[in-house]
Amino acid sequence: METNKILVAIDGSENSKRAVEYVADIVKGCREFEVTLLHIERLPDRDIFPDEDAWKKACVAHRQKIDSFLSDNKQMIVDYGIPQKMVYTDYVESCHSPLAEEPSYCSRGTSIAQDILHVAEKEQFGTVVIGRRGVSKAEEFMFGSVSNKIIHSGKDCTIWVVQ
Amino acid sequence: MTETVKQILDRFQSDPYMGRQGKVYTDTSDFMRITGGDVLVFGDGHYLVLRDEVERSYGVEDPKYWVKRCRHLESGERRLLKLVFYEKFKLQMGDIKITCYRSPRKEARILDLVRGDSRFMQGFSAEDEKGNTIRVLDVVMGKRLDNWIYGLDVDHKTYFFEHLPRILEKFIGACEAIAYLHANGEKHGDIRRDHLWRETHTGDYVWIDFDYTFDFHENPFGLDIFGLGGLLLYIVGKGFYSRSDIISLSGDENKTPDMEPGDFLLVFKNRLANLQKVFPYIPKELNWVLMHFSAGASVYYETVDEFVSDLRPCLKNMG
Repeated sequence: METNKILVAIDGSENSKRAVEYVADIVKGCREFEVTLLHIERLPDRDIFPDEDAWKKACVAHRQKIDSFLSDNKQMIVDYGIPQKMVYTDYVESCHSPLAEEPSYCSRGTSIAQDILHVAEKEQFGTVVIGRRGVSKAEEFMFGSVSNKIIHSGKDCTIWVVQ
Repeated sequence: MTETVKQILDRFQSDPYMGRQGKVYTDTSDFMRITGGDVLVFGDGHYLVLRDEVERSYGVEDPKYWVKRCRHLESGERRLLKLVFYEKFKLQMGDIKITCYRSPRKEARILDLVRGDSRFMQGFSAEDEKGNTIRVLDVVMGKRLDNWIYGLDVDHKTYFFEHLPRILEKFIGACEAIAYLHANGEKHGDIRRDHLWRETHTGDYVWIDFDYTFDFHENPFGLDIFGLGGLLLYIVGKGFYSRSDIISLSGDENKTPDMEPGDFLLVFKNRLANLQKVFPYIPKELNWVLMHFSAGASVYYETVDEFVSDLRPCLKNMG
């Protein structure tokens, strides 16, 4: 585990933007920290579209939106004084993506939390940061909660949950 | 020149058809117009529409205009035809609103996946001339499992010891069928009491209606697991119990067991999950499975396999 490596999981939401801002504010000016913004791809469900072409279009739009989010937030961190060469982005594609080109690792789609922790363990991140939406118990039961799952399952690292 | 309904029926039917002779449709896009006496022509078949399907709930009939009860003229057999209807709606479950989508493509894909698997309704899909995906389904000859259980004219204790072990064993088989869907990246999408049927001749349990989908990213199978929990609760309890039902069961408000919010379901807060409080002979292991769906739970099932792993020992202990 490398204590100077921070992994920030983002999903394109305001919650994850707050998480990025928080990290940028905490480590600003510290040149020895390495920050990686990670997105685990979750494409729209293909069955909510009438045909494959409509689904593919939606997947392309989603990817563009996330790429833009990653780029903008990477710049935000750099603007806080972290050297550009110490800020990375990582995009883990879905194994079921119609746009995928057989990456070495892809997300099977059963748990975003497990995918994040897999990356954290593999790349030896010392800290995992995630934004929290704040869901009710019923919503957590039905929809799941990435932040709660990371808290319960994360090990050998520090976890920051930003609300 | 295209055939008329009369010409088609004269060609296929030895008995004269005495009903309305409507129109021939090769494009099923406008399903509201299609009704009894019309003939649908697509794939390699001709289907005489008998009537719109209706769903019966609490004595009220709710027509499903996109589902037609038909006779396949080539074979003479009854079929259910589900026409294309892209519906998006909000489902209210307790305090939660879930966006659900109706997907013909999904159901067509699952029909292919489960072909020959008696745990699921059988059928195939074909396109009409406009590319609409029509699902042609075999009619399940049987009864809704919940209605069959409700119709068992015994008290709960007798039901629990004499009927439930066999029912639970078959229910576990039905859960394993859902696990099979999940293992193949699919979800049922609409697990509820009226979508698990008991086939009359075999007594086997059959899932129907898998054209709903929902978009949960962290918990892709959450709604299916929730549905299985609700079904289990109905099966074990031989029904659902509200606060007023509990008072009725006790016969006297003063004899009613103490109830807390944690004894009731997390999502439907008026439905008792802690059945052992009213039926003390329910073993604690089985009650514990039910309590995973209660407001008092802090740990939830994430997969059907977890759920079934806890259920199997309960069945074993029931002998």
